[in-house]
Amino acid sequence: MTQACKDPVIHNQWHPLTSLDEIAQGLVHDTVLLEQPLSYAMDDTGALHVWYRTPAQPAHTPYDPAKAGNALPARSKHGYLWTCVGKPPKDLFPVPELLEPDRQNVPTGVFGVNVSAGRTIENFLDMGHFPFVHTGILGEEPRTEVKEYDVEISESRDEILATRCQFYQPKAALASESGADVEYVYRVPHINCALLYKSSPGFEAEGRMDVIYMFLQPMTREWTRAHTGMCVIDLENSYQGIRCFQQVIFGQDKPILENQFPKQLPLDTRAETPIRADKSAIAYRRWLSRKGLTYGVIPAAV
Amino acid sequence: MKLYDYELSGNCYKIRLMLNFLGREYETRPVDFYPGREHKSPELMKLNPLGQLPILEDGDLVLRDAQAILTYLAHKYDPSGQWYPVSDPDRLGQVAQWLAFADGITATASSARLHDTLFYELDVEAARAGAHRLFRVLDEHLWFAEQEGQDWICSGDHPTIADLACFPYVILSEEGGVSRQDYPAIRRWCDRIKRLPGFVLMSGVFPTSQSAA
Amino acid sequence: MSVDPGRWYPIASSSDLPLRHVFHGQLWGREMAVWRADDGHVNVWENRCLHRGVRLSIGLNEGRELRCLYHGWRYANRTAGCTYIPAHPADAPARTICNNTYPAIEAHGLIWSALDPAEDFQEHTLLVGADVLALRPIPVNAPPSLVAAHARSYQFSPTGAGGADVSLIVETDGFLELRSTLGDMTTTLLLFIQPVDAGRSILRGVLTTRPDTPMPVLHHHNRAMSALRDRIEAEAATLDAPDPISVSFTPVDEELAQIPARARSGPKAELRVTVARKWALATDIAGFRFEAITGQLPTFQPGAHIDVHLPNGMSRQYSLTNAPGETDHYAIGVKREPESRGGSACLHETVQQGDVLAISAPRNNFPLRRDALNTILVAGGIGITPMLAMAQTLEAQSLPFELHCFAQSVAHLGFEEILGRLKDAVTTHLGLDPKATGKTLAEILKTRGEEEHLYICGPGPMLQATRAIADRKGWPDEAVHFEYFKNTNEIDDSSAFEVALARSALTLQVPAGRTILEVLHENGVEMPSSCEQGACGTCLATVIEGDPDHQDVYLSAGERAAGKSIITCVSRCKSKRLVLDI
Repeated sequence: MTQACKDPVIHNQWHPLTSLDEIAQGLVHDTVLLEQPLSYAMDDTGALHVWYRTPAQPAHTPYDPAKAGNALPARSKHGYLWTCVGKPPKDLFPVPELLEPDRQNVPTGVFGVNVSAGRTIENFLDMGHFPFVHTGILGEEPRTEVKEYDVEISESRDEILATRCQFYQPKAALASESGADVEYVYRVPHINCALLYKSSPGFEAEGRMDVIYMFLQPMTREWTRAHTGMCVIDLENSYQGIRCFQQVIFGQDKPILENQFPKQLPLDTRAETPIRADKSAIAYRRWLSRKGLTYGVIPAAV
Repeated sequence: MKLYDYELSGNCYKIRLMLNFLGREYETRPVDFYPGREHKSPELMKLNPLGQLPILEDGDLVLRDAQAILTYLAHKYDPSGQWYPVSDPDRLGQVAQWLAFADGITATASSARLHDTLFYELDVEAARAGAHRLFRVLDEHLWFAEQEGQDWICSGDHPTIADLACFPYVILSEEGGVSRQDYPAIRRWCDRIKRLPGFVLMSGVFPTSQSAA
Repeated sequence: MSVDPGRWYPIASSSDLPLRHVFHGQLWGREMAVWRADDGHVNVWENRCLHRGVRLSIGLNEGRELRCLYHGWRYANRTAGCTYIPAHPADAPARTICNNTYPAIEAHGLIWSALDPAEDFQEHTLLVGADVLALRPIPVNAPPSLVAAHARSYQFSPTGAGGADVSLIVETDGFLELRSTLGDMTTTLLLFIQPVDAGRSILRGVLTTRPDTPMPVLHHHNRAMSALRDRIEAEAATLDAPDPISVSFTPVDEELAQIPARARSGPKAELRVTVARKWALATDIAGFRFEAITGQLPTFQPGAHIDVHLPNGMSRQYSLTNAPGETDHYAIGVKREPESRGGSACLHETVQQGDVLAISAPRNNFPLRRDALNTILVAGGIGITPMLAMAQTLEAQSLPFELHCFAQSVAHLGFEEILGRLKDAVTTHLGLDPKATGKTLAEILKTRGEEEHLYICGPGPMLQATRAIADRKGWPDEAVHFEYFKNTNEIDDSSAFEVALARSALTLQVPAGRTILEVLHENGVEMPSSCEQGACGTCLATVIEGDPDHQDVYLSAGERAAGKSIITCVSRCKSKRLVLDI
C-alpha cells in the first residue's frame, strides 16, 4: 500500500500534526501525513509553518524560511498545529469547552498505532470492550451490558452524536470504592477526530463534563498518529496523573487495534457482524460511506 | 522500597513482575517519561546520570538498570534461591548468558517499538531484523527445552530472572511490527509465564486463560 | 506453486497445541487460529472474530470455548458458533453467528488442514500405522516454490555422521520423500512444504520410523534444516519479494449484517440425527443422546431447546442438558407423562437406540445472563434439564450460582453424574408437598441480593407459586426468568375478533377455532413461534389497542394487567378489535 493518496475526501481536510506543547521553537520537525513527508516549525515570533519536506532543511536544524520547501497552510486550533494537503475547508470543528476559562487542556501524548484511523475512531466510540480491555478501570465483569443509547447524524453540523450512553464503571466516584453507571456522550465532528464527554467528578450537579479527545493523523493507510488529550475542570489531579491514566488506557487499546483484520476499516455492511451496542460504529461507517471516503477504508462494493 | 516507574516501559515491567512474584510490598513513583521527559529532569538525573528508567530505591541503596535490579531483588528477597540460583554454578552461568541476550532484545525489539509508538528516529528495519534473529535463537532453544520437559529458559523446574528479563520486550514486540507467528515455542512460553502465580499485566500485554485443571 | 485450496497441508505440529493454548497458523495467506479443546478436539478457525475482525489467536482458550479478547464473545468448540455476547446479556445470540472454520485432521504428529478440500484427507501410505517422529518445523522467508527447489538437495544422515547418501524418491507439488543411507542404516524423511504466504513457507519433516533416542536426531535435522533455510533465504534475498496473497473475507449473512434477527419458526425439522444412546436416567425419565448423521450439529446456548419430531407425527420441545463445548451431540431428558398425548410415551416406548429422528436446530427462549452477581436456579422435576445446561455454563466460567432441585425422591431426580460434578452448588429438596415447597421457595427467595437473577423451570403450579413468591419478596419481573414445559390452561378459542396490524397496515379476521398466530402466518406475516401452546413466549406481540384475553402461562400478573403484550398462539381478544404493533 504505497501508492500516493488521491482521495479528495481525505485531502480536503485539516489534519493535526502536533500539539503546540511539543514544538521546540525555532527548530525544524519532521512528520508524515498521507504518505507525504512534511516538516513544520514555529518561528521566533511564534508563527507556525508547514511545508513539504526538503533535504535543505533537515529535522532538528534551525528553521530558515529561505530553505523551507513548498508551503502548506498552517493553523493553530485546540492546542494543536493543523495542516491540509488539498483544498482546506474554511472551518475546523469547534470544541466550546476548550474556551471555558476554568478548564485546562492537557495533551496526554501522541502515539503511533499500526492500524487505520477509522479502526481507531471506532474503538474510541466503543463501550462494550471496557470490561475486557480496560478491566478494573473503565469496566469489570460480570457488568458487561451496553444499555440502549441514541445515535444521530446531525445534518446541520455534519457530525455524529451518541447520547444517553452509560456503562458500569468500578470505583466510579471520587474517594469511593463502589462502582456505578457513568454517563458518556460521544461526538465525531471530523472523519478522524472524536471527543468523549464524561461526567466530571465533583461537577455532576452542574452537569458539566470532562472532555477526552483523540485527533488522528493518518500517516499511511495502516499507520496512524493518535494525538490524545483531556480537557478538565479545576485540576484535582496533576497533569501527570491525567497523562498516566490516558496512556494506560491507550496502551491497552493499542494491541487490540493492531490485531484487527483487515487493518483498514471495512465499510461494507456485511464485512462484520454488528450488534445493537455497535450503533455508533454503524453510524460512523455509514457516514464515511456517504462522504465517499476511500483512504484507509475498504469501501462497500457498489 | 520505591520504584521509579513508567507504565509503558518494558524495563520497568520486569521489576514490577519480579516484585509481584516475590510478593514484596513496594511504592511506585510514576515518572512522566513521555511527553514530560521527566527521566531527564535534574531530580532523576541525580539518581541515574544515564537518564533512564527504572530506578529502585531500597533503604539507602539506589540501583539503576533493570537486569541489575532483578539480580538484586532475587538475591535479596527470594529465600528459596530459585529466581537467581547463586548456589548452582551451571544455572547461574545460564542466567548470566540469557540476561545478556535480554539486553539484545531490548536493543532490537524495544527499539522497533519506540520507533513505531513514540516515533524515535532510528533504523527500524535493522531493529526488526535483529529482533527476528534473536527470536529464532530463543524459539529454537525453548522448543528443545520443551522436548526435554523443561518449561523455562534456564534448566531446572523453576523460572529465573532470565525469563523475566526476556519476557517484556518479547511480549510487546508486535507493537514494533515484529510478529511472533513464526515462533510457536516462544508463544507457548509466554502463556506459561502468564500463568505464574503473582503475574500482573501491563498496558499492551493480554491475559491468558487459566490452565486446565 | 500456485494457491491450491483443495489440498491438505500440515499447518502445525501436535505439540504446538498444549491444552488452553491458541496457535497462530497460516496457509496460502489465510491466517488460522488453531486450538485444542479440553476434550482433545482440534479446531482450525479463520483467525478473525466475526464481530470486529480481531485475531482469535490472541483470544483465550477456555477449554470448551474460545473467547475473543475484545468484547468477550464466546465461540463453541467444534461448531465455532457464538454462544454468548456479553454486551447483551439478556439475548441469545443468533445461532447463525458462526466463525469460518477449516477442516482439521490430527495425524502423524501433525495437524492437517485445507482451505477447501477437494477430497477427504488421505494418510500417506508410508505413515499409516507407523511410529513416526515429527521434526522441529523450520519457517523460511521464501516462496514455497523456491523452498521446494532447494529441499531436493537437503542433506541428512541416519546417524548424524557425514558421508551419507541421500536420494530423492518422490517429488510432488509441495512434498518430497527423501532417503538417506549410511552403511546399513537407512532413514526415510517425508518433507512437506507448507505454503504460508506468497513469500513465506514452513518446512515440516516427518521420519517414518521413530529412533530409539530421538533427541540427537531432532538436533541433527534442526541444524541441517536451519542451514538449508539460510541458503534458501540468501537466494530469496536476491529476488524480488512477491506481494502477499490478497485475502478476501467471506461476507457475513445478510441477516446478521442487519442487527435484529430472529428466524420465523414454528416447529422445524431441519436436522436429522441418530439416537446414539437411550438410557434410563431416573424413575420415568429416559435420557437420549443425539448425534449428527453427517457434519456438525448447530451451536446451542444454555437454556436452548430443540423440537423433536416423533415417528407418530407429533413434535415436542425438549431442553438440552449439554455443558458448554459439548458440541458433538445433543442430550435431552424425557419424563414419561402419565397423561401423555403420545409425545413422551412414544419416545419412551417406540424410539430406540440407532433410530433416526428429525429435530430442529436449537432455539433459545430462555437465555442465561452472565452478568449477574449471583444466579439462583430452581428446578422442579424434569424442569431440571435446562438448569443443568445453565449450571454447567456458570460453573465453567466460575460465576457464582446455586441450583435448587425439587424432586419426589432421589430415584426421581436423576442426572447424578452432572449434579455430582457441580457439588456444593447443588441443594436437593426431596419429597416436599406443595405447602412445604412453597415454604422452601420463600426461604430461597428471602431477599434479593444485588444484581441477583432467578431462573425457574418446572411444573406449571410450581412455576406460578415461585413467581408469586418472588413478586411478594420484591423481585422485579426482569430478574425472574422462567420456562414452562407446557400450558395446562384449558384454551377457550370460541371468540371471533378483528386484528389490525399497525405497522403492516393490514386488518385480518380471527374466527373461532383459529389462533391469531395461524391467521398471521396464513397471510404471510412473519412471526416467530415455538411451542404454540402459550408457554414459551416466542410469539409475543405488543398490543396498541384492545382488551387481550390472556390464556397463556408466560406473561406475569403485572404484564397481564398492563395489557400491553399478548401471546399470539393462544390468547385472544375480549373486545371486537385488537391492534398489534406488527
